[in-house]
Amino acid sequence: MSLTRILKMLRKDFALGPRSPIFLYMILLPFALTGLFQFAFGSLFTPQPRLGIVDAGNSAITAAVEGADGIDLTLLDDAAELRAQVEANDLDAGLVLPAGFDDAVRDGGRPPLQFYIGGESYASNRVILTVTALDAIRDLEGSAAPVDVEVVSFGEAGLPINLRLVPIIVFYALALAGIFLPGSSLVEEKEHGTLNALLVTPVKVSEVLVSKWIFGVVLATVMSGVTLALNGALGPRPLDVLTVLVTGAILVATLGLLIGVLAKDSTMLFALIKGTGILMFAPAIFYLFPDWPQWIAKLFPLYWVIEPIWQVSVMGGAVTEVWFEVLVALLISAALLPLIVVVARRMQAQMVSQ
Amino acid sequence: MTTPAIKVEDLCFSYGDIEAVKNVSFEVQPGEILGFLGPNGAGKSTTIKVLTGQMPPDSGRAEILGMEIGHDNPDIQAQISVCFEEKNLYLNMTALENLDFFASLFGIKDADSMEILRRVGLAERAKDRVHSFSKGMRQRMMISRAFINKPSVLFLDEPTDGLDPVTSAAIRKTIKEEADRGAAVLLTTHDMFEADELSDRVAFINEGEIVALDTAENLKLKYGTRSVRVRLRDGEGVSEEHIALDEGGSSERLAHLAASPDLMTIHTEEATLEAIFIELTGRRLEG
Repeated sequence: MSLTRILKMLRKDFALGPRSPIFLYMILLPFALTGLFQFAFGSLFTPQPRLGIVDAGNSAITAAVEGADGIDLTLLDDAAELRAQVEANDLDAGLVLPAGFDDAVRDGGRPPLQFYIGGESYASNRVILTVTALDAIRDLEGSAAPVDVEVVSFGEAGLPINLRLVPIIVFYALALAGIFLPGSSLVEEKEHGTLNALLVTPVKVSEVLVSKWIFGVVLATVMSGVTLALNGALGPRPLDVLTVLVTGAILVATLGLLIGVLAKDSTMLFALIKGTGILMFAPAIFYLFPDWPQWIAKLFPLYWVIEPIWQVSVMGGAVTEVWFEVLVALLISAALLPLIVVVARRMQAQMVSQ
Repeated sequence: MTTPAIKVEDLCFSYGDIEAVKNVSFEVQPGEILGFLGPNGAGKSTTIKVLTGQMPPDSGRAEILGMEIGHDNPDIQAQISVCFEEKNLYLNMTALENLDFFASLFGIKDADSMEILRRVGLAERAKDRVHSFSKGMRQRMMISRAFINKPSVLFLDEPTDGLDPVTSAAIRKTIKEEADRGAAVLLTTHDMFEADELSDRVAFINEGEIVALDTAENLKLKYGTRSVRVRLRDGEGVSEEHIALDEGGSSERLAHLAASPDLMTIHTEEATLEAIFIELTGRRLEG
């Protein structure tokens, strides 16, 4: 097997991809779905509340805000710069904490505090930042809230719907880039006879298949990564996210290759993808309905891809927490290889006899 | 004695129960063009598929440049080229990209793709995508792709099928040039004129079997009649006389007629390859 020839075919596929409308459609669809879901269910693009602080005295308030979830904190040295950024809507709000502010508050004084609010900021972000700042000051003062707030939750407890939609969008990115694109690329080579043309050069059929597989792995990894980034779900551990994405890409690209060698033409390719689509899509649905028995999702191969991505990228877990799922995904990929070899031999015999 | 570029002995191949190639044997020397003449379904393309390693033979053996054929034999495949009947080009690539890509698969770093396109008259369209090409231009692309690795053995499957006479003539010229360079050419065709014009030797193949193999000249002599047809003015009309050259007194009679002031034309009556094929197989070449 020649790595050079594999890379040359891979380069050809990447060069030809953008010239194909179906390739562009498949690449753009996950982005369109992201936009659609965010429009329908609330936007994950909505930025976190952005607070700027000029802290002249190493205030405990700054430390408290740094420790708070969901606030994008920027520390600045100059009050004029802070004001300019709030005016420019680069920050939603700004807080100027003079030197000795903490001591003055603790001593019961009423030191002046400048709190800038951006006129173009979201009202929700203003409320969040104002309440957070007041809470931090109250804590600093050591006083209790003047009322006891009874929190009554309505609706289903758990993650918001827009977060639970992430597995579906990621599934689309993985499936389209990892299954459909290498599969259709191989089928196109068969339909146009270019595969025959390749196989009378020094290129071996195994080299063609490996190049298509790498094509799928690279596309699926990039597409799912970009989709997660668009949905603000890249998680705190980039390397762990990359690991689970590559594992997922390996499995979907192997499935794509299997479908590609099985399908004689585009009609059969679409029939196979439609026919197996629900089996592949099923595990993503379970994330929308947490009340369903979740063990059923484990019966579907792509569960072992989506679950690690969910745990690591959305829930912020480490790859070590999902090692079993990653291992199962790799084992399924390995188990499919002998099947691909057998079907590829049959494919080659069918091709030349046409 | 030079090693034959192609050596085939008792080659057999079947599609299930259908015997497509039956005990086919022949040799092609370097620089020689062997025309494989036969109707559709005669086994011409199947023979090429077996010889190019696309399908293993059921029995028999074949050597390309002294190397036995088989699946995935890169040493053979580096030295052969195939021009398929099907126009299997990358339509979304330009002409130049197509050639450069295939050159790279052969490991050729300094391929002069432009020069090859110039030879087939496509240099001005080098940067156009192949999907915009006419049928004739695509066929010329197919031929140019087959030349990209300067092959020692060239398999051409119906290279001028369905093309206009001008394009066909241009393609034939380039095939001749390749043979002159030293490439052995196995040319399948059902066009008797093409086989006659291009081939050093012609093999008639029918229902998977070679029924005759010789130079076109020898086949015509062997299976045709040695006679001439003489047309003479006869008053207001025209009279014809057939003279069998093997009969006694034919030379004197021919000389007499040639000297006649009424002589209009003299035509040889050698058999066409098609007529010989029909005589041997009872089938026509077309269809």
